[in-house]
Amino acid sequence: MPNSQPILEVHDLHVHFKMLAGIVRAVDGVDFTVERGRCLGIVGESGCGKSVTARSILRLLPSSDTSGQILYHPDGDGQPIDLVSLDAKGDAIRAIRGKDIAMIFQEPMTSLTPVYTIGEQIMESIRQHQNLTEEEAQELAISMLNKVGIPDAERRFGDYPHQMSGGMRQRVMIAIALCCEPRVLIADEPTTALDVTIQAQILRLIRSLQQDLDMSVIMITHDLAVIAQLADFVVVMYLGQMAEKAPVVELFQDPKHPYTQALLRSIVRPDTPPREQLHSISGSVPDPRNAPSGCRFRNRCPSVHDRCVEDPPVVEFGPQHSATCWLYVDD
Amino acid sequence: MSDTPILQVENLSKFFPVQRGLLRRTVGHVKAVNDVSFAVNKGECLGLVGESGCGKTTVARCLLRLVEPDQGRILLHGEQQTFDIASASRKEMLDVRRQMQIIFQDPFSSLDPRWRVTDVIAEPLMAQKVGRGEAGRRVLDILPTVGLGPHFADRFPHELSGGERQRVSIARALIVSPPLVVADEPVSALDVSVRSQIINLLLDLQSQMNLTYVFIAHDLSIVKHISHRIAVMYLGRLVELGTTQQVFEECKHPYTKALLASVLIPDPTHREQSYVLEGEVPSPLNPPSGCHFSTRCPFAQEQCSAEEPDLRDMGGGHWVRCHFAEELDLSEEIFAPQFDKPAASN
Repeated sequence: MPNSQPILEVHDLHVHFKMLAGIVRAVDGVDFTVERGRCLGIVGESGCGKSVTARSILRLLPSSDTSGQILYHPDGDGQPIDLVSLDAKGDAIRAIRGKDIAMIFQEPMTSLTPVYTIGEQIMESIRQHQNLTEEEAQELAISMLNKVGIPDAERRFGDYPHQMSGGMRQRVMIAIALCCEPRVLIADEPTTALDVTIQAQILRLIRSLQQDLDMSVIMITHDLAVIAQLADFVVVMYLGQMAEKAPVVELFQDPKHPYTQALLRSIVRPDTPPREQLHSISGSVPDPRNAPSGCRFRNRCPSVHDRCVEDPPVVEFGPQHSATCWLYVDD
Repeated sequence: MSDTPILQVENLSKFFPVQRGLLRRTVGHVKAVNDVSFAVNKGECLGLVGESGCGKTTVARCLLRLVEPDQGRILLHGEQQTFDIASASRKEMLDVRRQMQIIFQDPFSSLDPRWRVTDVIAEPLMAQKVGRGEAGRRVLDILPTVGLGPHFADRFPHELSGGERQRVSIARALIVSPPLVVADEPVSALDVSVRSQIINLLLDLQSQMNLTYVFIAHDLSIVKHISHRIAVMYLGRLVELGTTQQVFEECKHPYTKALLASVLIPDPTHREQSYVLEGEVPSPLNPPSGCHFSTRCPFAQEQCSAEEPDLRDMGGGHWVRCHFAEELDLSEEIFAPQFDKPAASN
């Protein structure tokens, strides 16, 4: 493999929010590596901490208690930068945010401002990071709109977000994210709000841009089918903790954590016999404020036993495959 | 399942006026539902699919007269008599709603936050003038049916998770023992691990209580799993109607094919998805002339934009709205690969 150096390394990331009701451990010990030119998928249900993890990379969180390391390796022989140590409002992170690491948010309806044209919003990002004249920036913005597949880009340049459909707005978000040719693209549920045919278009677009620009992608989703189609490597999260991480084929063919196994069994596949009962996980995701101690999945786990009240160990199943579970530890 | 229809929809149309300017002049109509006809048989589940804006939710709301249909008949064959919902009086609607109920999409906004679960579930009974004591007893009877303990009766919606709230919505729909239930995207707002629980519950209830479902969803794999027959809508029009087998395995409309091909398969070793539909759903205010799908259809010919095809019977209860339904071969993979194979793990 030509691209196996890491571009982003997350070590032992903890993000805690102090609330009136107590401390919410939104992310509690997450480790992963994003390789150059590859796609890392983070999958989990609501409240699992996948979006918080993504936002903490760009330091987009309001007052929170973040610890651990997020190492960004810039191109060339530069020293890695620990993003956690940067001032969230300082120049150092602002130079990286949008330039080296860009993000697409879930809701294309709410993440564009309604009072500026989409052209102005793309140019804002370009002129923040690149020393271009207005005309050059406009030219670049139009070429980005073309690249993300917006027909008649010169005319649409002057449109306001409300004049566009959801799929078009998501393309504009992608154009804003990609206009500075970022090394890493973080996509937080980029297709959840979209129809299936538009979802297929957007995913195909992200995939082809990833290859053209040799970009790394962090794809955050609750949809295992999106993961199966796009990711090279997967992190499964549950209530702030990492349940399992593995290369994508290994994860789907040989899941180790009971949560991953249950999730994979519960989805409808093309060969699922019609109208038969589906496997399901009992109960629902608990409120993160009163998550169980020890293994957080234990009150829903089919293989729960006495030891699960203690924090489970990380068990390795190969160089890249590990699960956080007591099941594979001998007494 | 039988062949006796419980619900017959004939030429249903609903046009929403679009008003502009100071005088609110009507400048056009959104043809949300345009001449839609189908029947639902006793004990079956009819899936209604399509992209946003295709009119599937408007159909659901017309069925219960939550919006007033403009044209057409909606015949509900009740136990004693047949109602035409589209022209029923207020008093008749009371009877209709004893036979037909709806489950809404978003359990976070369809339950009144100030009402206790027991009041939420009992509300249809109140509308039917059932006494308080009797209603309370029936609520306690139905809670275990939807998998909730009796202690849920006194809770408020904010104390419940999404799955529990959707169970409450299901209980509210079933409390009057209606033979027919319209479910409008009942699982799309739920977490993956909870979604299968609710699908299982809906399947269980159907066989236990011999229910008939009209199941609306945009997630095709779920619709395929639960439905006996499927109706596909595009821009207010029914474009294909048939058994699940006919629609999924032998589809004859290019739009259905495109919808099916955009379903992502949860298997990393199958990434050679094909046939990605270009463009977007046109504005329903100005649908394309002729066949509404002609602007995006890879097989479109001159005839398609000139005249609108009829919904034609292809045999065996398989209806298709396409000029070339007989000639098109949709079995092959038509377009270039969508994704490459996953990189081998190193």
